[in-house]
Amino acid sequence: MDPSLLNAPEADEMEPKKDVVPVWLIVLMVMLLYWGAVYFDRQGGWFSPQVYAPYRNLEEVRAYQPGGGAGDLFELGRSVYGQTCVACHQANGLGVAGQFPPLADSEWVNEPEPGRLIRIVLAGLQGPMTVKGQQYGAATMTPFAPILSDQQIAAVLTYVRQNADWGNKAPAVTPEQVAAVREKIANRSQPFTAPELLSISPAE
Amino acid sequence: MNYGALVFLGAFVAVSLSWFGMVLSPQVQLGRQTQGTNSVNTAELYPVQRPGLAREGLEVYRANGCVYCHSQQVRQSGTAVNVILTDAGTNAAAAADALMKSRAGVTDANAVGLSAGLPKAILTDVDVDRARAAVEALTSAGAKAEIEIVPVGTDIAWNWGIRRSVAHDYLYDSPVLLGSLRVGPDLANVGARLPDANWHYRHLYAPRSVVEGSAMPAYPYLFERRPIQGQPSPDAIESKDGFEIVPTSEARALVAYLLSLRADVPLFESPVSVEPPPQETADTNSAAGTNVVSPQASASAQ
Repeated sequence: MDPSLLNAPEADEMEPKKDVVPVWLIVLMVMLLYWGAVYFDRQGGWFSPQVYAPYRNLEEVRAYQPGGGAGDLFELGRSVYGQTCVACHQANGLGVAGQFPPLADSEWVNEPEPGRLIRIVLAGLQGPMTVKGQQYGAATMTPFAPILSDQQIAAVLTYVRQNADWGNKAPAVTPEQVAAVREKIANRSQPFTAPELLSISPAE
Repeated sequence: MNYGALVFLGAFVAVSLSWFGMVLSPQVQLGRQTQGTNSVNTAELYPVQRPGLAREGLEVYRANGCVYCHSQQVRQSGTAVNVILTDAGTNAAAAADALMKSRAGVTDANAVGLSAGLPKAILTDVDVDRARAAVEALTSAGAKAEIEIVPVGTDIAWNWGIRRSVAHDYLYDSPVLLGSLRVGPDLANVGARLPDANWHYRHLYAPRSVVEGSAMPAYPYLFERRPIQGQPSPDAIESKDGFEIVPTSEARALVAYLLSLRADVPLFESPVSVEPPPQETADTNSAAGTNVVSPQASASAQ
């Protein structure tokens, strides 16, 4: 017998050959993953409960809303109000006595210039205030600057100010007006108080 | 070698991944739907809880296996966008000019053409961006135009619904009777397209008496044949030789449920243009007309 065979490893104890994953396969996987992520981003609507086929994302659903030029903002405002404001100010815009002031027929809402209203929505409001001769102030209004876009704030204010069912008749608010005020109060972290708002010209 | 831990881990990962995919993510996506006011043209709440009789009817619907032949989901393959001019304004020439200069791609607008026969569609089945551009141009020139959204698809062409069904439509259904077979027509919007209770009673009692060639089985056991005592019943579907056929409480519940099936409210997530709510006079007219089934409505029941 050949003595060298005694030292050789047996067949079933041999080390398996280490297969290396080819580079092209890794590159292909990464590219496919990237393509998948981009496809999902464009078509998936990011799991939004409001996006259904044949629409691909929320912007597209918004673009397909029926209606006219200025009427759009009003209808968008209706849906923003229904999701955001209705819990406190109520569907009829009358609020809750002592806590949430009414928006219907309110002198604050019907000011010709919307500067103060935009500030209230952006930065919030706390402390006592008088609306239609009644005292309110048991509740604090949330600042919506981080939550709502300029377009949404303009829409909801337009909806509130032009809501004929509530007896309101004031000019519409544009997203540009909201953007201008947002820039002016960008550094503010505290909610407004009623006396402070009254010291600001509504046109600013 | 002992692979127990590995097998356990593999099974655990498989079960938890499917739980994440099939239970958790739908819950995160759709679980917080609430009754809303986000219908586009009206301020009414949607959806509303079905009345008690209709909720009983849902149980009759389940018990009789209606769901095996009828689905309750309208599909939509696309959306057509039209631009409707409602008012050419004081200066139709300026409106035509603005329209041609806009990105709407209109090359042949003129003042006479614009102001004749309003309201009318000036652009049909266009890209939504072009439609927006046209509306903006017309609005800036003092005219009034709006975008009309028309969902398209086979189901909608068959008049089974005016828009696709969305999760919101099923908020108060338990269980949701979506159905998967369509031996019969889709019923998602049947309360709106066939609003006559008497038609439904006759159809349940003898389907082929109202819909020719219908494949639906008859449900005579939902009705009662009884001798006429004194005055005949006002809701008897047939009376002959001193007997009349009247619906039982089960049939009444089922028909109340069928009439409560409607998905005709425009929602943000499923936009559609609808006619403005009818005026008082139109209401009385339509109420008087509910006993007449139009040929189109019967045909769509096929």
